[in-house]
Amino acid sequence: MMMKRIFIYTVIGVGILLSISSCKKFLDVEPIDKLTGNNFYKSPEDVQASIGDLSRKLYNKITETQFMGATGEYRSGEVLSDPLIRGNSVRTPQNIAYIDRLGKNKLIEVINNPNNLWGDYNFGSITDWRRFYEVIQGASILIEKLNEGIPGVTETTKAQYLGEATFIRCFCYFIMVRLYGDVPYYSDAFHIEPLPRESMVSVMDKCIADMESRKDGMVWTFSEPAFKGVRATRTSAIALLMNMNMWNAGFDLANADKYNKATVALGKELVDNENKHNNRLLPIEEWQTVVGGRSDESLFELYQSVNYGVSTNIYAPISQMFLHYPYKSPFYDWEKSSAYYKSSYMEKIFPQDVSDTRKNTWLIEPYANSGLFNFAKLSGVNVNAGGVGAANPDNSFIFFRYADALLMYAEALANDGNDTEAAKMLNRVRTRAHAPTFNGAGTELKDFIFLERSRELIGEGVHYFDLIRTRRILSQTWTSNPLTTDQFIRGGWTWPVSNNVIRNNPFITLTDYWVNGGI
Amino acid sequence: MINVTKMNGMKRNIHLVFTFIICVACFNVHAQSKLRVKGVVYDKDARDPLPGVTISTLEPKKTIGVTNINGEYTIDVAPNSVILFSYIGFVTQRVTLKANETTANVYLASDNRALEEIVIRGYQKRTREETTGASTTVLAKDIQDIPASNVEQLLQGKVAGLNIQLNTGAPGFRGSIQIRGLSNLSISGSGSESYLQSNSPLYIIDGVPIDADKAAEYGFQTQGPGVSPTSLIPPEDIESIEVLKDAQATSLYGSRGAFGVIIITTKRGNSAVPRVRYTTNAFINSPPKLRETVGGNAERNAKIQQILNNSLSEGDIIRLSNTNFLADSLNAYWNNSVDWQSVFYQTTFNQTHNIAIDGGNQTFNYKTNLGYYTEKGVIKNTGFDRYSLNMNMEYKPSNKFRFFGALFGALGQQSKGNGVGLLQSGVAANGQASSLLPPPSFYQATSSVVSALSTTNSNNSRNLRANVEGRYEFIPGLALTSSLSYDFTSDTEDTFTPAAANNQFARVYAFTGRNYTLYNRNNLSYFKTLGSHELFFSAFNEIYKKGRQASIIRQEKTANDQLQGPVGFDSYFSRGGGVLDNYGDERIASFAGAFSYNFKKKYVLDLSFRLDGSSLSGAEDPYSKNPAVGLRWNFYKENWFAGLGWLSDGSIRASWGKNINPNGSLQSLYGLYTVNGNYNNNPAIGVVYDQIPNPNLKPTTTEQYNLGFDLGLFENRIELNFDTYFKHVKNMLFDRQLADITGFNRVVSNDASIANYGYELAITAHPFKPGKDFNLSFSVNGAINRDVLTSLPVDQYGQFIKFDGDQNYLQHVVYRVGRNTLSNYLRMNQGTYANDDDVPVDPYSGLKYRTDGVYFQGGDPILKDVNGDYILDGADYEIAGNSQPLFVGGLSTNITYKSWGLNVYSSFTAKRTILNNALSDRLAIMRDPFALTSVVPLQNLDIWTQPGDFTKYPNPYDYGRYNQVRPFRKDQTLWAEDGSYFKINSVTLSYNFDKKLISRLGLYNLRVYFSTNNVATFSSYSGPNPENVNALGRDNSNGYPVPRTYNIGLNLELNSGK
Repeated sequence: MMMKRIFIYTVIGVGILLSISSCKKFLDVEPIDKLTGNNFYKSPEDVQASIGDLSRKLYNKITETQFMGATGEYRSGEVLSDPLIRGNSVRTPQNIAYIDRLGKNKLIEVINNPNNLWGDYNFGSITDWRRFYEVIQGASILIEKLNEGIPGVTETTKAQYLGEATFIRCFCYFIMVRLYGDVPYYSDAFHIEPLPRESMVSVMDKCIADMESRKDGMVWTFSEPAFKGVRATRTSAIALLMNMNMWNAGFDLANADKYNKATVALGKELVDNENKHNNRLLPIEEWQTVVGGRSDESLFELYQSVNYGVSTNIYAPISQMFLHYPYKSPFYDWEKSSAYYKSSYMEKIFPQDVSDTRKNTWLIEPYANSGLFNFAKLSGVNVNAGGVGAANPDNSFIFFRYADALLMYAEALANDGNDTEAAKMLNRVRTRAHAPTFNGAGTELKDFIFLERSRELIGEGVHYFDLIRTRRILSQTWTSNPLTTDQFIRGGWTWPVSNNVIRNNPFITLTDYWVNGGI
Repeated sequence: MINVTKMNGMKRNIHLVFTFIICVACFNVHAQSKLRVKGVVYDKDARDPLPGVTISTLEPKKTIGVTNINGEYTIDVAPNSVILFSYIGFVTQRVTLKANETTANVYLASDNRALEEIVIRGYQKRTREETTGASTTVLAKDIQDIPASNVEQLLQGKVAGLNIQLNTGAPGFRGSIQIRGLSNLSISGSGSESYLQSNSPLYIIDGVPIDADKAAEYGFQTQGPGVSPTSLIPPEDIESIEVLKDAQATSLYGSRGAFGVIIITTKRGNSAVPRVRYTTNAFINSPPKLRETVGGNAERNAKIQQILNNSLSEGDIIRLSNTNFLADSLNAYWNNSVDWQSVFYQTTFNQTHNIAIDGGNQTFNYKTNLGYYTEKGVIKNTGFDRYSLNMNMEYKPSNKFRFFGALFGALGQQSKGNGVGLLQSGVAANGQASSLLPPPSFYQATSSVVSALSTTNSNNSRNLRANVEGRYEFIPGLALTSSLSYDFTSDTEDTFTPAAANNQFARVYAFTGRNYTLYNRNNLSYFKTLGSHELFFSAFNEIYKKGRQASIIRQEKTANDQLQGPVGFDSYFSRGGGVLDNYGDERIASFAGAFSYNFKKKYVLDLSFRLDGSSLSGAEDPYSKNPAVGLRWNFYKENWFAGLGWLSDGSIRASWGKNINPNGSLQSLYGLYTVNGNYNNNPAIGVVYDQIPNPNLKPTTTEQYNLGFDLGLFENRIELNFDTYFKHVKNMLFDRQLADITGFNRVVSNDASIANYGYELAITAHPFKPGKDFNLSFSVNGAINRDVLTSLPVDQYGQFIKFDGDQNYLQHVVYRVGRNTLSNYLRMNQGTYANDDDVPVDPYSGLKYRTDGVYFQGGDPILKDVNGDYILDGADYEIAGNSQPLFVGGLSTNITYKSWGLNVYSSFTAKRTILNNALSDRLAIMRDPFALTSVVPLQNLDIWTQPGDFTKYPNPYDYGRYNQVRPFRKDQTLWAEDGSYFKINSVTLSYNFDKKLISRLGLYNLRVYFSTNNVATFSSYSGPNPENVNALGRDNSNGYPVPRTYNIGLNLELNSGK
């Protein structure tokens, strides 16, 4: 009986103790079978994993299809497919002929994919902007979590992480604006309300303000070489800001001056701080390092490497179209490249009588006007995945690099009337290519800078956007696929957006030009 | 044996001493001119002597004695005085002694006076007249005599407002249970497996909260044994079941009480001499009437006739001669007449045994209950066995201190065959096989027959529950009660499918799971009487720690039918396994306070408040708040009613309360993150873009108003309880689909709500004055519940259609604000075209009404062209019918005459739409006469056979156009029928043997009874059983039929120590 009594008192005592012990702690359960918001974002490593995931998502988006070629190169009409290639399992004359359709701005045909000719290329995915918004939400959630405070994150690293998240968010908007024109914009985390499309100038203005506010907290450079060009730094932010400003300069003509000046300021910040960051132009002889990725020249890229066990969709890199033996083998299948730049265009940007090392190191048979054109610029690293076969070289998907930034700086300077400084920047790029310097001024200089961008950035998915933002797309002098002013204003330069966007969103409209059949 | 006897002797001594002391005390007080009165007190129903009955005088109210173990008493009282005999659970009997009357045998009637019934509120015992909430108590005698694998089914029709539908006859499975209507609109699955998420009431078994739904969380996809904890309780051990319905009654049980609370109290020891009682049932389960089929040559002729009459081309005739089983009638292989249904269905013999030993007195009592239940299913290879051992003891050395300990152990063993228990699709498919096929034998059997009959499936649920409770009263009125319990369940499932049933390779599947609940409650209460005012304060806290984990392993191919393991990892045939995603670790911490006040037990006020903190709610405010208020006016105690002899009691109750149920998950609040491989050789972890986290998610709130009225007339020979309520379930979770610019698919929003309102009435009548030999009582109860959907997310514009993803069903459900919550969304069937000319013609195109490229013609169903475009397509649907019943209730009659007793229990459900999918399946067999399926007789149906027939059912024979016209498509109102039924649940006839006669056999009590369960169902429904449908009212032909049970049972009590 005594024992029982003792036992009961013990039970009661334990009960009381239990009840007064801290409840808050008792109720905080962290699940071990899944990561939820209450046991994730607990350390700087979680933040880095999260940033890594946003980049991975973006990487997956642009490798769904031949993104850079389809959006930035072929639509300018300078590329043709070679119908005389020998067919094999990954290409036939028919299934590379999409290039010619794109060169005629026949996007609907390419997207509709008659007879499943271009199924492997999956061009329809370009019309689907959802993945970009996923990245935008992810970045916004990360920013909110950072602002709420994450254990172990110091003020300095927080500023850097905020900058990286903002960068990837603005980068998505920038890519979308270039693809679709007007897009819905939001920057709050857990956004659930449907929105209408917003004028792209306004979207870019908001992104510029957003990025500007975070840029200065970012590091100039990472000491870890593996992060070079892969994680966004202050120079990446500058490059993005320059691009966004120059885009608006082309469309918001009333304020073009403001945007040019902003770009000049950014370019100056980039060039003046060359002692603080290690971004620079690498010698042309070290070009393979640049396309391989993680080089000093890279400002922002989506990195991939077979060394890390990543296998990229073979249709995704532009090199799939422009390389043949010895970069692809066997010779029987890969005697010719699928596509080539027209000789007339090559003559225009690389005149035969002007010396330029790029002609030799980047191009083999540049004037062939057939599949014999071989684009050594894209040969990069790990050719044939380190062995023999049809695999593409292991190139990184580079969006911004130092030469691009210098030329954009030059363009803004020239627009701003500072021809001397503009020529200086232009000639830094030319000198690296062992090409003669250029000392013109005025319109001549502006045109030359445009051509220099066409030369330097050939095959990098930039050319078509340069044509659009400078409105050279309206003139057959500059392109083989010109648009009329009417087509341009109606959005003939954009990509259509998928019908999915209408679902659960009563405010949104599709792009007029494409709804009316793309004519 | 010796020890037991010795112990018994000792107990008896203690008791005698106790009685003696009381008697001596009486002597001291009343020493003058007393009359010695003797007698025996009996339980009027059971005819047992009642030990421990308190005997007191009326003026002054004073205890003067108690009955001994044989129910005998001896008291000394003044002549002509009035003495009261009172005992918990029995009506206090008032006896006026005549002068010189020295013997008075008293029969106590059990509990006719409901107001003095002891009920439990917030873990505190109170009498009913002091409570303000709505509840109903069901006693042991109402649920005895029927062997049942799940005690819930015995409650059907006994409690107004408790809707129980025995929608499966699978042994060990639960039906559906709802208190006061719908609280949920979440439907999972599609087609025949559409499943309305169950929100069972919270069960409190001897003070321990139990989650009855834990086995049902996946609906039909239940992994592991679906044995509910309620299936593990032997009904023989239950003393009483109380069903709490309104928010005042349930508020102290916290968020989990939002769907009602059912309190089960098991029996306690209550006899100075150990009582040994034994109950056994031997029962036969017989399958219900099965589907009629045409056998043998008649089937062949029917098919040939159908082909010859309806063939569209010569090709069909050629095909007929090439179809062996039709053309080659002399082939022995095809020349059979097999009743396939009999291969699967069987009549089974089952039994239960239950031994209960109890004993003790006021100071110490104990109980042991040992139970065994075995039931083989009417579908072969299914069944349920239960083994249980339930013990408790109570020690109460003084009024200051009490200790209670209980141990409950049970093993539920279930076999589901190759189905999932509720559904037996293999049986259903084979039940439709052609009778021309040879019967199953060793080497000639279809794999699904082997699968259904030879799959070894064993599910074990082992449940162990221990609880201790101590109570100490510091000063009179102030007591601390502390309770601690641990509930552990271990589940395993092993399925071995032999090679013949699985494409010539044996398969092994194993599941193991465990879950536990640690529960602690500490209660401080204070009771104070100030003159006519009674005050009661109570405060308690509760802590739960719950966890669960389950894992499976599956090997697709093993070497042969003998080798069931060990199986290791095999990259090709192993289907993997590991921990399932229902891993759980949950904590709840709650605090509650209650205050009660009454004035002369005439005016009662109850206030209570409870805070529930859950680890599943957001960290910012994990507490949900449950307040409640209740008022009661026992108006019969007012002076102005004093003169009304016919009014025994009467009261009015009113209550309001709120229950908040945080049903979000960490995932819905914070989002789910997942590892997505690597980027740049570093791990990439990101949010899962399906469901956007909603940090503003609110808990579901149930707010309920209740108004009740209780009346007892003519010495409580008529008792009436009426309740009306309004229950608003707000902030229910509802998925909102998002625009793709959000990057997510959906958000769990709080924007759905339902209102339930209704009336409940229960009347019990004893038409004749309770007599010694003959007693008759009659009870009826009924409840009307209407539910209305009051809101949906704003972007749904007041309507959401839950499209059925199963193309063979397309039986959609529509939620429309302002209507009943769950309506079917079907094509409107308006009969059958009698002639080709009756088909409407589009005046613009001149084309006839058509579907899928085929024009309708005579014999096709008239399906309403809702949008008027003369094409039947996906747009032609309308709202039709309500799958939830409007009116449920029950009737019961109890008659005793001398030693005979007759009980009849029945229940009814009215105004409910059910979809007769079984009939549509049956008619659809006709779609392909070339198939090896059975032929069903159609003579008894109103079907179209020739032009000019105006019929209900379309032409089933036109197989050529079947796939376009689909006359028996399931998404039409042709199958919608009224599911009203009246069911005689059980009839029991019992006989109590004469005590003197059986005492020679060493027995103290012997009762024999015959009962039948599921006796008869009366309904206008054309299918087999309007109750055997799922919670959405779909009658599936692959459901498990409810058997009829014939039972013979025996209660006996040994003459231990008497």
